[in-house]
Amino acid sequence: MIKYVIRRFIQAIPVLFLITVACFALMHAQGNPADRFAQNPKITQAQIAAFEHRWGLNDPLPLQYCKWLGICGDKPFLLNALPAGLGGGDNGILHGDLGYSIFDGRLVTDVIAQRALPTLILCTTAYVIWVTVAILAGVYAAVKRYSLFDSGLTIFNYVGYSLPTFWLGIMLITFFAVPPLRWFPASGMNDVYTTPAFGTSDYWAFFGSNPFFAIFDLGRHLVLPVLTLVTVSIAGDSRFVRSSMLDSLNQDYVKTARAKGVPERRVILRHALRNALLPVITNVGLEIPFLFSGAIVTETIFAWPGMGRQFIESVGHTDYPVLMGILLIASVAVVFANLLADILYAVVDPRVKYD
Amino acid sequence: MTRMTPTAGTSGEPSASGAVSDGLLLDVRGLRTYFHVMDGTVKAVDGVDFSIPRGGTVGLVGESGCGKSVTAHTIMRLIDIPPGEIAGGEVWFDGRDLLKLSANEMRHVRGGEIAMIFQEPMTSLNPVFTIGDQISEAVLLHNDVNKKEAANRAIEALREVGVSAPERRVRQYPHELSGGMRQRAMIAMALSCNPKLVIADEPTTALDVTIQAQILELIKALQARTGTALLLITHDLAVVAETVQTIAVMYAGRIVETGTVDQVLLAPQHPYTQGLLSSIPGVKKRGKALSVIRGVVPNPFRMPPACKFQPRCPYAWDICSMKEPELLPARTGAMSRCYLHSPEGASRLAAFESAVAATMEGVGG
Amino acid sequence: MEPILPPADATGPAAPADFEVALVSLNQWQLAWRRFRRHKLAIFGSVLFLTMVAIAIFGPFILPYDPLAEPTPILHCVGTNILANTGCPPFNDGHILGTAGGTQEDLLTLVVNGARISLAIGIGAATFATVLGAIVGGVSGYFGGWVDTILMRIVDVLLSLPLLFVVIVFAKVFGYGDWKVILVVFAILGWPSIARLVRSLFLTLRTEVFVDAARAVGVSDLRIIFRHILPNAMSPIIVVTTLSIAGFIVEEAFISYIGFGVNSLYNPTWGNILSNAQDDIIVGNWWWPLFPGLAIVLTVLGINFMGDGLRDALDPRSRE
Repeated sequence: MIKYVIRRFIQAIPVLFLITVACFALMHAQGNPADRFAQNPKITQAQIAAFEHRWGLNDPLPLQYCKWLGICGDKPFLLNALPAGLGGGDNGILHGDLGYSIFDGRLVTDVIAQRALPTLILCTTAYVIWVTVAILAGVYAAVKRYSLFDSGLTIFNYVGYSLPTFWLGIMLITFFAVPPLRWFPASGMNDVYTTPAFGTSDYWAFFGSNPFFAIFDLGRHLVLPVLTLVTVSIAGDSRFVRSSMLDSLNQDYVKTARAKGVPERRVILRHALRNALLPVITNVGLEIPFLFSGAIVTETIFAWPGMGRQFIESVGHTDYPVLMGILLIASVAVVFANLLADILYAVVDPRVKYD
Repeated sequence: MTRMTPTAGTSGEPSASGAVSDGLLLDVRGLRTYFHVMDGTVKAVDGVDFSIPRGGTVGLVGESGCGKSVTAHTIMRLIDIPPGEIAGGEVWFDGRDLLKLSANEMRHVRGGEIAMIFQEPMTSLNPVFTIGDQISEAVLLHNDVNKKEAANRAIEALREVGVSAPERRVRQYPHELSGGMRQRAMIAMALSCNPKLVIADEPTTALDVTIQAQILELIKALQARTGTALLLITHDLAVVAETVQTIAVMYAGRIVETGTVDQVLLAPQHPYTQGLLSSIPGVKKRGKALSVIRGVVPNPFRMPPACKFQPRCPYAWDICSMKEPELLPARTGAMSRCYLHSPEGASRLAAFESAVAATMEGVGG
Repeated sequence: MEPILPPADATGPAAPADFEVALVSLNQWQLAWRRFRRHKLAIFGSVLFLTMVAIAIFGPFILPYDPLAEPTPILHCVGTNILANTGCPPFNDGHILGTAGGTQEDLLTLVVNGARISLAIGIGAATFATVLGAIVGGVSGYFGGWVDTILMRIVDVLLSLPLLFVVIVFAKVFGYGDWKVILVVFAILGWPSIARLVRSLFLTLRTEVFVDAARAVGVSDLRIIFRHILPNAMSPIIVVTTLSIAGFIVEEAFISYIGFGVNSLYNPTWGNILSNAQDDIIVGNWWWPLFPGLAIVLTVLGINFMGDGLRDALDPRSRE
């Protein structure tokens, strides 16, 4: 079992490596950031040249990539790859340095760190709600097939699955956040008038002194974005859970369980559900990337100060260190999510062979 | 309709309908199970009567689609109620009509008093639980024991069915066992609660021929040792020949012939049974064309109006398309749903019987 | 021993006509069509989708308002106090869906014109992505070996990147707001998932006996791929392609909405209409974002129903 996990980890490394190559290639495909200045008459050629030198834009691409990765740098070749404490360099991904933002000069890691928590809050809340509701709804619909709930769920599935997420968000704002019904705020993470900006030390001080109000405020701001994020996913997943559960209920071993005299409730929850959840686990794990895409959409519409929104802003500024950083983190997270799903599946299904 | 009474083995007296006669463990009367599907209603079981004495063994034989599995499932009340419907009849088991029990009461009967063995051991065992778990579960449901005791009984059950190293096997998953072993596990599970009746639905069809023989031997030995009654369902005549005392032949949802093994297999009294037997290849038929029953199984939505076998029957005459025959006693003591055994058919009976004799010669006796 | 003969005076088996099962032989596609026809939802979905396509193609010809003409701005919506530059509500002055803010164009005209590009991108991208993906997946699945390993590593990497991120970047950088280029961008980024599907189909089909039979007769590899295996893999491919049209339509809408897609100056799409509508929501203009969105929802709904129906009709093993 441990060997399986280790082996999967090792298999993931080439993929991670290729991801860094892909990220790098993508970002540099956008062109030279110095081009922004080309039209500006106030910036001299010398300044542009200095800019390019400072950012290493004159180096050949493989070298830029190598430096970004952290293998090349001030120290002699490959020695640089070692941790700083052992005489290696301190640049590049391997040392936790993602570079500096071309837009405002801050450390990319700082930019991302500031935006990471909001995204985490949004995505985790959404994910938990989505998976729970999808499983409960799907199982109930499968067990009470042809009931009103089942038909209702099917309609919801079709309609919900057809809604573009961003449009759903816009519509929610249009009807619930705007007069006449001002039930929920239209944007942001916290009420601008009563609380400090999220993430700043002022905010945490405020949080410490009025925890309930802060949490309530945060919750109020979470409602519409989370609703936007989860609706489409629940629509799709609950259908999947339902069909998986129906499949399981049709299996011979369910008949055997009934023939043994097992109470119906136990047949459903123990015999059928265990098996039905297996493909659901894989599916749910594989949907994590969609969580990120959904985050971009939702954060943009609701002006949620998260990584997704940062990404869009940085695309506008052609700020590719930041973009590369975000893309890298998102991709790595996806790879690990897939890995986790695989491992979880192997744990739960005894048929999976470990060699 | 008269009920079948076996002429060998323990027997009971037929009694007035409504009560079970002593000696009969299972008494199925006029059972009807219909399925309402998009294209119409399929009368999968349409008037089935048979009975099993305590400790007796009965084989229910017929080709695919004749309703034998549905009969078994109906007895266990495992039919999905929509689209299925138990449209009529009574299933008297040990003094109670199973069809009238509440769901909860029936649940206690299942597994505890009547156990069922299914055809496909791979898909019939839950892949995510160990076989020990699955057997113990059955034990725990029907006996007042604790988990440890149940686990021990599971090991014992496996030992009784001939599984080697049962302590180790108990912790294995179904996919880690061979087909024959899985079927043994299923049998162990079925017998673990000492049921009064075991229904085996095509228990060997999914197994290799060599394993088939082993499993049948096992079933026979266990049945003899424990005195459990056995209802063996199969399409394979060879399987019943060795294992049961009485045979009931089904066709198109009805029983068409019943009798002891010797009666049915050596002196069949219904043209269908005779057709089945004559189509078995035998050494003496070498070089000659095999005979088949002409025609096909009737379309369930457009059943022949009177005798269901009439379109394919070489002996049919006009009475056969007018009214469905009842189960009539034949000269040997077996029962056959055929007008050949009625006064009107007496003249044709001789021709049938000589044909049967010829068949038996070809089969090799 | 003679075969069993019926006795001389038996009337024999009755005429088979009523009691035998009537068998009419249908080929795979006819069977599928029959099954498809039974699905009321699928028919409804197809009608919905085809209606949208028809509107896209013929709509602009029958609309009362000329899309190229700029409407003369008015101050207040007819008969009300509402400021017209944030849009007039539906049914005001003959505008069935109301007007958009800013240019005060008729919304119905906008939506109908938007249908053209949106649908073109959706259908075009789906088709190209499928063709590309099928080629890659087919080659990979059929030949196996290192070809397969390399191609699938590429696919894995591409699929690990959250697609939206990549699409956004590409669309902005290479798109130039031109819908044709955006279509190509979508296709290039959309083929990996189709490739994976086709590859797994080919992997299973390759082991089928009819492939061995074809090889034994000397059929070339290429011919085997295209004439023998591919027709068998068609059904799931058709389903996936149909469903992906919906995905691409929504993708285009979002990309245009955030401003990196089709430039609204040249061509309206449902997405860039929504983009322009964003600012006036806060003053209560609910119809401007609603109707383009509804158009998307109806189209996607139609496609989903249709795709589901296709899936059930084409897959002989599907339940229900």
